This record gives sequence, structure tokens and C-alpha cells, in this order.
Amino acid sequence: MTLQEAQTYLLERARERGVELEVLSSGSRELTLRAREEQLEEITAAERGGLGVRVVTEGRTGYAYSEELTPEALDWMLDEAVENAKLQSETDGFLPAGRSLGRHDLLGEGLSAPLDEKKQMALELERASKSDPRVQQIGAAAYSEREYQTEIASTKGAAGGYRSGYAYLMTSAVMAAGTSVKQGWEVKVAREIAALDPASTAQEFIRKTGRLLGARELSSGRYTAYFEPQAFLALLAPFISLWSGKWVLEGKSRLADKLGQRVASAVFSLYDDPDHPQGLMNAPFDAEGTPTRKVHLLREGVVESFMHNTFTARKLGHEPSGHAARSYKGVLDVAPHNLIVAPGAGVRLEDGVLVTDLMGVHAGAKPISGDFSLQALGLKIEGGEAAYPVENFTISGNFFELLERVVAVGSELEWSVLYLAGASPTVEVAEVAFAGA
Amino acid sequence: MFNESTAEKLLRRARELGADFAEVYAERWKKRNLRLLDLAVQEASSGIERGAGVRLFFGTQVVYAYTNDLSEANLLEVTETLARLKGGKGQVDARGAGGLDFRRSEPRGLHAPQVALDERDKRWRIERLAEADAAARVGPEIKKVELRLLEWDQEILVANSEGVWNRDRRVRTRYVVTAIAENEAGMQTGFEGPGLGVGLELFDLAPPAEYGRRAGEQARTLLGAKPAPAGPMPVVIGNAFGGVIFHEALGHLLETTAVARKTSVLTDKLGEKIASDVVTYVDDGTLPHAWGSSEYDDEGAPTERTVLIEKGVLKSYMVDRWGSLMTGYRPTGSGRRQDYTFAPTSRMRNTFIEAGGASIESLFEGVELGLYAKKMGGGQVKPGSGEYNFAVQEGYVIRNGRVEEPVKGAMLVGKGPESIQRIAAVAADQKNAPGMCGSLSGAVPVEVGQPHLLISEIVVGGEG
Repeated sequence: MTLQEAQTYLLERARERGVELEVLSSGSRELTLRAREEQLEEITAAERGGLGVRVVTEGRTGYAYSEELTPEALDWMLDEAVENAKLQSETDGFLPAGRSLGRHDLLGEGLSAPLDEKKQMALELERASKSDPRVQQIGAAAYSEREYQTEIASTKGAAGGYRSGYAYLMTSAVMAAGTSVKQGWEVKVAREIAALDPASTAQEFIRKTGRLLGARELSSGRYTAYFEPQAFLALLAPFISLWSGKWVLEGKSRLADKLGQRVASAVFSLYDDPDHPQGLMNAPFDAEGTPTRKVHLLREGVVESFMHNTFTARKLGHEPSGHAARSYKGVLDVAPHNLIVAPGAGVRLEDGVLVTDLMGVHAGAKPISGDFSLQALGLKIEGGEAAYPVENFTISGNFFELLERVVAVGSELEWSVLYLAGASPTVEVAEVAFAGA
Repeated sequence: MFNESTAEKLLRRARELGADFAEVYAERWKKRNLRLLDLAVQEASSGIERGAGVRLFFGTQVVYAYTNDLSEANLLEVTETLARLKGGKGQVDARGAGGLDFRRSEPRGLHAPQVALDERDKRWRIERLAEADAAARVGPEIKKVELRLLEWDQEILVANSEGVWNRDRRVRTRYVVTAIAENEAGMQTGFEGPGLGVGLELFDLAPPAEYGRRAGEQARTLLGAKPAPAGPMPVVIGNAFGGVIFHEALGHLLETTAVARKTSVLTDKLGEKIASDVVTYVDDGTLPHAWGSSEYDDEGAPTERTVLIEKGVLKSYMVDRWGSLMTGYRPTGSGRRQDYTFAPTSRMRNTFIEAGGASIESLFEGVELGLYAKKMGGGQVKPGSGEYNFAVQEGYVIRNGRVEEPVKGAMLVGKGPESIQRIAAVAADQKNAPGMCGSLSGAVPVEVGQPHLLISEIVVGGEG
């Protein structure tokens, strides 16, 4: 069966059984070309697809999915989903009223280019990444592209889909000077191949990693931290759940009773924009078919909204915000599309530490307590200038205190998909605890 | 999955197209997930994952494709596409001639479950998980208890142009207890997550009441914890999941994925003394029913016990097929992948520091001011420089040889090759714990482990 046929089959079986059903299906294509020593060391090509159902029966919700599109597998899936639903004690579950959502193409011809051109990009990226004598070994230099088609359909009448995708260049290598060794990386993502340039990506890698060579120890103490965009997004990523309607509902978010209250510095605003001209995760509607819109999570330091799907919104008496998220293998959740730290008046480096990279974010940040303690790399800033690179230190504190101490926000956005899809300027935070030698 | 004639056609065609080696891998998983919050089922999900991966070697160049469509026509089409993507000669030579004569091997059931996943219904699972929920509520501070249960039943089949035809079946079960404690000081979480290569007997082998209580106590302890001290100091690391530090700081540096590209600082160091004398480090894929064990790896090679470091001397790397081709080292059955969407690379299985002779008490003696990292969180490493960091989940200050107040927010930071030289003493209480390890070929189940051990100096990051 094709995904389309499987979707129709499941809707028919669900109607026969008298259960409400929502099918989310996704088909994707991947091409990755990895260069090493002027050869393509690894090529990966793939096509995959699968579908997942959310079943609601007597107000109870259950899930199942399959990548095997035979009647037997689909029947098993439906049986399991109904059985899973019956385990729920929650009886307020529902599927939102559906409507025709249309077909959208967000990708167009963005990834269209001859294969040889893509191969040349990977090879050129590797060559250019080695152009500095301090570069020792290339770990990876790759061109990669992904294209996907998402479809939703429900017994409540939802029907529609969209096609999207992106391409990226990624280089990772070791640089050395004297006894100092640093491994660094650079990723550039775009929805159009034309926006990717191997030479400039390689130059960025060399600049960002090269400046950290010869790093010294940093004395422990409190410093002004200037977070570069990538580092700030890395720090922000684990704490986005605080705005999750699901977390609020489950009592895990310390922002639960802070709607309309100031929790951050007045210079700090955070919003989600699902339709940004440079957005890598744009979407016309969310995983339940709710149309997406621009939503401010924080406006000038005040909590303005949480991220909701229809269930969390109804439970909390709010409006759905278009943040329902579900992969075909997953369960209903909420997630941002393109999360953006609003650009501000600008940051002027004076004295402190320019934090260029954070590591161990998945382990060192605790979204429930807000505590974090993270290994960082950076440059010591003295008298408005980068004095020397620093290493072997951590920054730590509490996310809520950090938000209050934001002093200034830069004026230029830089995009990333690494920790979360979104963009941030440089962010200046006063009095951050640094622990080093 | 696929039959012998399909595999033979595919492998033969790949060789005709100029591949020096060809492999086809197929798998089918049944997975079930359950999440409870305060005993109410939040989500229950079940799924089938199924797909195949075709991998061709042209010298050391690797091309890989994966698909969910396991029909013969599609698998052959995928093989043609791969050769086309590779480009080059575009001509056929005669090396595909001759029969393949597969050497079939079936798993012996070394890690087969005693209580199969379909022997109990879902209500039974919820009742067993309820034991953890009750035990986690060690005091009024415990406000919420979240429970997750994962069940994986994976069947794989690997065939290659050297006549390998291996099946394996891996059943794994794990539950995770998260206790959330709250008082005026804030919110803290405690966490335990036992998992093994077993079926539902997990609930007897790892009693939910015991693991629930530990999670609850951990959350309660953290509520009263002060910010950790900062700076370089001696650190005693607890056993079991404490082994994550050397998984990150040492294990990853010994995978040929990094060694073959010379991006590991431990490249070309075989036979050299790289760690202190008290360190013997082993990666064992054969431990019965361990979370990271299997009979065959994902390239169809039998798994084995690999001694990586013996008394401080580097004895072996972890070697997959590509790594062996690149370095000439003997393959160690270490080719692993998350699933068919990844080509296999060299990965850890169950990796641990062997028991030493020191008593646990002796590790603390003589430490004037230090940190006892009783329970570790996760971490990360850059193999090129050996820089690592990992979070301490449950930590205490050591003063004058005594374990004193609990501290939170400690992060251990350093360079792996330096830290392994600084292991001053190793106790005898070796134990493993399960985790998921993420790398180039995705997230795979592994065990990490060690006895209690003393490191003479690590930089501790904290606020205090």
C-alpha cells in the first residue's frame, strides 16, 4: 500500500469501529555526501515513510504507528491504539473539528541542482576547510539535503498536507597550534541550495575555531557573559519546555502561574514565528491542523503566552496557539516552529567573557528547577576587545535569574537548527558565575 | 524481511557494478511505550518499525541507502541508484560470478527473555509500575512521580558478499522513574532507570519499589542541596553510572570512527601507557542480558569481550568493518547502528573499568576538600581534543575524609587523556548501568560501569 492508501484504509476501519481517528503520515527523502581527502568517502541516499494514528474513544486517547503498510500491520496498529486508549483514566480527550487544510509547497525547486554540483559542494567544503595550516584533520565535511511531505487526515474532516525541506553544509575538524588542540564545527542550513556557499562556511569554521587556539585557564568568578547567538540558543533550548502547555498542565513548569507577569529583563523578548522568510521550520498548520501564527512567549520580559495544542488549550482555558507537535512515531506534544530572540538595540563588548560554545546541554541543564551548569568555550574580553581565548571552565546558575540579568540584546539575528530551530542575536548577561582554575 | 535469492541477486549485482563489498541489512521492531504521571496513563503507544539498508564499499568509499520498501524490485533499484550516485566507471565487470553459498547462522538465544513481552497484559505493567510510584513518595516533598516503560523487540538479518547470513533478535525492557520534589527552595528531580536485555522479568530483576525509593530520596536530597564548590579538586566518583565519565572521555576516543580519521587524541597509541596502572578498561558485548549486549553486531559479526586498556596500557580499539579496512586492526564485533536509517560505525557495547583492590573508605581518606559524585548525569566529549563535561546528578562535599552536605549543579570538566592518568585508586564494587549513547550511527543502548574510584584532580564547575 502507499501512504495515501494506508491513510484511507485506516479512516475506513476507524469509522466501522466507531472510533475517532487522526492519521499523520510522513514521507521523506535524504541525500548526504561526505567528503574526505578529496574523495566522497560516504554517500547516503534514502527514502522512508510511515504513519501514526491518534485514536479517541469515549474521551480516551491512544497511539500507534507503523512503517509496514500491509493490512495486517495496519489492523494490528488500530487494535493496539484502541487498547492503549482504554488504559487512560483521562476522559476529556477529543479530536479537534477538522477542515480542508489545502496542499502547500514550501520548498519549490529549492533543492533542485544536478548531483555533480552537490558533490562538488562537499568536495569544495573539505578543500576550503583545510586551507589553513592549523587545520589538522577533517572529521567530516558534508553536503546534506532533506525533503519531506507531511499529511494529516481525521474522521473529523481534517485533510491536508505540505512539502518542505532544507539543505545544509557541515564541516567539523581539529585545529592545532603548538600544544593547543581544538575541535570545532560549522553548519549552514538553508531552504535553497543557492544560499549555501562552501568557501564561506569553511572560512567561518576556521575563524570560529582558530580564535580559540592557545586558550588559557579562566579564574573562577562572576563576569559579564556575552553569549554569541549559537551559544545562547544552546542555553535556551532545554528551557523552552517551561512554555509548554503540556508542562504547565502537568505541573512541571515554574512559569505556570506567571502569565502576564514580568519574569525577565524588559529588554528581552522571545517569540515563535512559523512564517518567517528565513524560517527553516515554517509550517502553515500544526500537527492537529490548527493554523499557525506568530506568538510571543515573552514580550519585554512579561510572559505573554504558552505553547498549546487543542487539548492543553482547552484544559487551561486558553486559545490553541498552533503548537501541536507529533511525529508519526510520537505522541501529541507541543513545540515551537522558529523560535526567535527579538533583536534589540545592540551589544557593546566591554569587560567579561564572550561565550562562543556550550557543551553538555542535554545533561547540564535542568528545566524543572531552572538550574544549569555547562562547559563553555570563549574569549576573555578586556577593554572592549578579545584579549585571549579561555577553556576548561563552566558557567552555572539558574535560568530564571539569568533572564532577569539580561542587560542588552544585539541587533543581528543568526539562525541555527542545532539545538533548536530558531534565531538569536548576541545576548549580554550580567554577573554570571564562571568556574575555572 | 528478504529471502536468500533476493539477497544473492542484490549482492551479485552490487559486485557487478564494481563494489568490493556489499551488505544488505533488514530489521523489524515492535516497540511499546507507556508514560504515567501520578499513576494516570498520559500516553500509551505501540509501533512497528521496518526497513532495510544496503551498503556498498568501493575501496574505502562507502555508499549507503535505506528504505522501508523491502520488495525485491525496490532493493535492486536501490542498489542501482547507489552505484549511480557513486558515479565513476559505469561499466560492469565479471566479479559477480559464482554462487554465494551463505553460511547461515541463527542466534543461540543467549539473551532471550524469560517472560516474553506478550505474556502479560498492559494492566499488569501498570500494577508493577505502581510499586515504583508508591516507593518514590518518600515524604511530603515528593509532589509528582513520572514513570516510563519502554519495550523493544528487534529482529535483524544481515547478509553480505562474503557469505555472511546472520539473524539476531534483541529484546530489551527498561523503565524510568522520575520523582519531582518541591518546597519553598524550588523544584528538584530524582531519577532511576534500570534496563536490561530481558523481557518483563525486568520487574523482578530490578524491583520497582527499590528504584522508586532511590529516585524519591535523590529528589528530596537535592532540595536541601547547596550550590557545588568550584575549582580543581579531588573527586570520588560512584560506581555503576559513574562510568559515564570514561565512556565519554575515553571510550569514544577508542572507536575507529575517530581513530581511522585521526581525529582522536588516542590515535596510533597501541601498546602505549595511556592511563594510570590501576585502570583496566573493557568493552564486552557478550555479558548475558546486559542492556548493550547482542549475539551479533549490526554487521553480522559475533560480539566479543574486548580488553581496551590493561593496567594502563592500550591493548585494542573498538573496530568495525570500515575501521578495520582503514587501520588494519582486527574487527572486534563493534559495528552498531540505531536502526536501518544509519550505516553502522564502531560503537561501545558494555564498557567498564574493572574492579580494583582499594576499599571504598580509603578513597575518601586524605581528601581535605573534594567532591563525591555519587550519581552521574550525562555528558559529552570532543574526541579531537578530549575535552569532556558531565553533570553530577547527586553530589556531596568531602571534607577531611568525610562525606558531608549534598550539593547541586556540579559539572565535571576536563580532558580525558589527562583524567585517566589521574585515577589514583579503584575500589572493588564494579557495577554497570544502562544508558543511550548518541554518535554518528545514532543512539544505541550501552552499559557504562566502574567501581568507586578516586581522581586526584578535576575541575568542578559550580556556583559556590
